[in-house]
Amino acid sequence: MERRSFLQKAIAGTTIVAFGGILWRIASDDLTRKARAETRPDGKPRLPPGQRVIERLKPMGGEAGNPSPRAFKLDVHGTVDKPFSLDFRELLALPDAKAAVADVHCVTGWSVMGAKWMGVPIAALAQRAGVKPSTKHVIFEAANGYTANVRLDEALAPNAMLVWEYDGSPLEEAHGAPVRGLVPDLYFWKSPKWLTGLRFAEQDEPGYWETRGYHNHADPWREERYG
Amino acid sequence: MGDAPKSLRERLWGLPWRRWWRALHRDIGYFAVGLTLVYAVSGIAVNHIADWDPSFEQFKQTVQVEPFPGDDQAVSQRALMELGITDTPVDVYRSSDTRVDISLENATVHVNPATGIIIAEGQRARPVLRDINWLHLNRGKKAWTIFADGFAGMLVFLAISGMFMIKGRRGFIGRGAVFVTLGLAIPIGYLLISGGP
Repeated sequence: MERRSFLQKAIAGTTIVAFGGILWRIASDDLTRKARAETRPDGKPRLPPGQRVIERLKPMGGEAGNPSPRAFKLDVHGTVDKPFSLDFRELLALPDAKAAVADVHCVTGWSVMGAKWMGVPIAALAQRAGVKPSTKHVIFEAANGYTANVRLDEALAPNAMLVWEYDGSPLEEAHGAPVRGLVPDLYFWKSPKWLTGLRFAEQDEPGYWETRGYHNHADPWREERYG
Repeated sequence: MGDAPKSLRERLWGLPWRRWWRALHRDIGYFAVGLTLVYAVSGIAVNHIADWDPSFEQFKQTVQVEPFPGDDQAVSQRALMELGITDTPVDVYRSSDTRVDISLENATVHVNPATGIIIAEGQRARPVLRDINWLHLNRGKKAWTIFADGFAGMLVFLAISGMFMIKGRRGFIGRGAVFVTLGLAIPIGYLLISGGP
């Protein structure tokens, strides 16, 4: 086969495969079409722009922490009057623990709609700690030095939680067992896995991804993916 | 009578620059092979993080049996037996009446003794990929930052020296300029078309 002929066939083959793949993806994406047609109670479209819907959370890697519930310890500290620590049993036994349903949106482009969670609202932990009026931010602290920064009002929203169950089962190791953050109205990297602490702060402190080019705020409806 | 002394410019121009470029390019190129493979392979792996976990593979198995209340030891033994696991648990932890976690060396078994649901799950590191992704994402920090910066400097040298190693028929103005322009046009064009950050 001549070089020119080989190149022509290679380009044609690649184009057909790529075009077919795109068509297949568009045609088979009922979940995304359905979500795009819905609106949230606050008037925003249920599916943020640039997202496609998948059925379950995808493991997105990260340097794993210790998944053992016995080893778990949550430190709630920073600009609070009464810092405290909880082990896993104490966290599960909190009277504010509740089941919740929330959509989540990953910055890489996938969303899971109506994910079922079990956890405790961050607002309940903040109230117990007595957050000082000067506090403006919450820094999620996780294994291996990972951090993520969230504005106080967004961290205290009713749907922002610390969770230990997903879809009726204990949180899997790949999803941050035993406990991860959940801030559904921001891109999912703001919901750190393998959580170890909540630090309330007056000053903002961009975290692991925020200092590596990702957006400091991360609103999916504004597509605040990159800084 | 001897020749007139050469000016500095003439002396510099007469030096075997291209030969030196080629020699340095070759040796630094050899030195950069390992790190180039690390960053290139890991770059592809991490680029597709939306489609797969580039560092770990997950496993999960769920078994439903009759409820089997009992103490931690009894629950652990029964759950592992149902799963056919013969490993000795590292830890057994009961966090509530409906949750007992059995930690194994490379997995966790979650048991709800009240419902009889047993879930074994965990993740295995992908050989090699996990290590090179760890390096690429600079999870190690500290000393690796120095190596990574040095490697970036070497890539800059390879790119620059590559342009001047071989003198074409028309010098750099020929195919060199065409390919360099094309290479620059890709990121610039993408920025313009996509709207940039």
